[in-house]
This record gives sequence, structure tokens and C-alpha cells, in this order.
Amino acid sequence: MSAANPSFHDQMVDILPKLRVQALALTRNRSAAEDLVQDAICNALSAQNSFIPGTNFAAWMHRILRNRFISNLRKRRETTDIEDVPASSLSTDASHEDRLALKELGSALTRLPTEQREALVMVVVHGMSYEVLAQATGCAVGTAKSRVFRARRQLEAWLMGEQPKSEGIAASKQGGSRPRPSMDRLRAAFGPGEGLTL
Amino acid sequence: MKHVDMAQRKDRPTPVKPRETRKRAEKPEAAFDVWLNRGLHQLFDDVAREPIPEDLLRIINEDRGR
Repeated sequence: MSAANPSFHDQMVDILPKLRVQALALTRNRSAAEDLVQDAICNALSAQNSFIPGTNFAAWMHRILRNRFISNLRKRRETTDIEDVPASSLSTDASHEDRLALKELGSALTRLPTEQREALVMVVVHGMSYEVLAQATGCAVGTAKSRVFRARRQLEAWLMGEQPKSEGIAASKQGGSRPRPSMDRLRAAFGPGEGLTL
Repeated sequence: MKHVDMAQRKDRPTPVKPRETRKRAEKPEAAFDVWLNRGLHQLFDDVAREPIPEDLLRIINEDRGR
């Protein structure tokens, strides 16, 4: 099979890094994410005859992983490990203030509704289009856009210490324990000249 | 003719905010989004760059041979 026309299995290998990111965004736990990717791969191999060549392989594969996640959720309670999401990046050469801001972001991410967190990560980290995101998550394009928008605004409300907007951001109603990082920390993370007025 | 214009004007949605106000409100949000995008890449790019576990590759390659 040529590089211009990769085989089913080649496409599967190519998409593995993105599946691992999606799985971590969904589960928030490294170990659970690895298990989820493996389960999704097994499911996809079993169902490979149902994939229609020429259609969007990424959307098909992300959807299988998502369905498997939902299926697992029904079987057991969701696993939560807040420290897992940012752990790898906290050991990089980022400055102390950057690391603190990243840790705040990682913690805030875990508090987002799952579908918002997944949508935000797939669009921002993977550069996925709203159309493919909608296919992968089985929703309308408008819903996909709305999830990303609400995720951004909720994180902004939490991380900038603003009151959540009243227009139905469900997560803001889940108690008073939302993160309230110091504004100095985020100001430092933005650095000079970024145009943020705090 | 004038009457039709009035009716059309009535159908137009009233802008929620004046243009100037909206511009001012968008600026800090855009700055936050820039920071958020950068932060998300810092959080997740390392995961995407990690070597793929051999187990996963073996599962796929075994199926490839069938």
C-alpha cells in the first residue's frame, strides 16, 4: 500500500498518538487511558469491515474510542486522578510561574464536563475541524462548536477568577470548590506584551 | 416603499451590544485563548510524542498479517 493510500492498519498506527491524547482527555488517568486505547484498537480491528474506505478514518476511530469510554463508564464509576493530566509537562523546563499556571489549568480541565474537555483538546491539540469533531462525537457541528466555546469561557471564568457567566454553564453550578488561582500567577504565565489586561 | 423599509428594519435583530463595547470585550478573551491554546499544547503534546507501547503495535501488526 502506497504512502498516498495508506492501509487500514497504517492509518491505525498513525492515529495512535492522537487516540492516546483523546483517551487521557476523557479518563484523566494515564493507566485508564492506556487501557482505553488498547480496548478501542481491539474493537476497531474487530469492526474493520464496517469502515468504508474513503470516509474519514480519524472520525471513525475517535468515535470507537469514545463509545468504548462511554461503555466502560456504564460498567464502573469514572476514575479520577487530577494529578495525571499535567504531570508530564510539569517536569519540563518551564519557569516556576509557568508550571504553577499549567498546574492550575490541568486542575481546572479536570473539572470541565467530559464532553467539553474532550472537544477542547481535540480541536486545540489535534487541530481537528468542528465537522470531524462532530462526526467523532456523534453530535451536530453547532453542538461541537458550542462545547469548545463553553469550555474556553468556563476555564477563563475559573482561571481569571471571574464570576461564571449565567448563561447555563453547568459546571459552574457544581459547588464552590472551583479553582481560584492568584492573578499574579496567570499574569506571569502570559508574560509581557501578550495584551491581557488583568 | 417607505413602509416596506420600516417593516424590514423591524425584522432585523437588535444588536446585543454596540460594536465598540464588543471590541473591548473580545480583546482579553482573545489573549486568554492564546494562553489557553499554548497551555493545552504544553499539557498534551508530550503525551502525543511518547513512544507507542509495543503491545499496541503488536496487536495491530498481528492483525495485519491475517
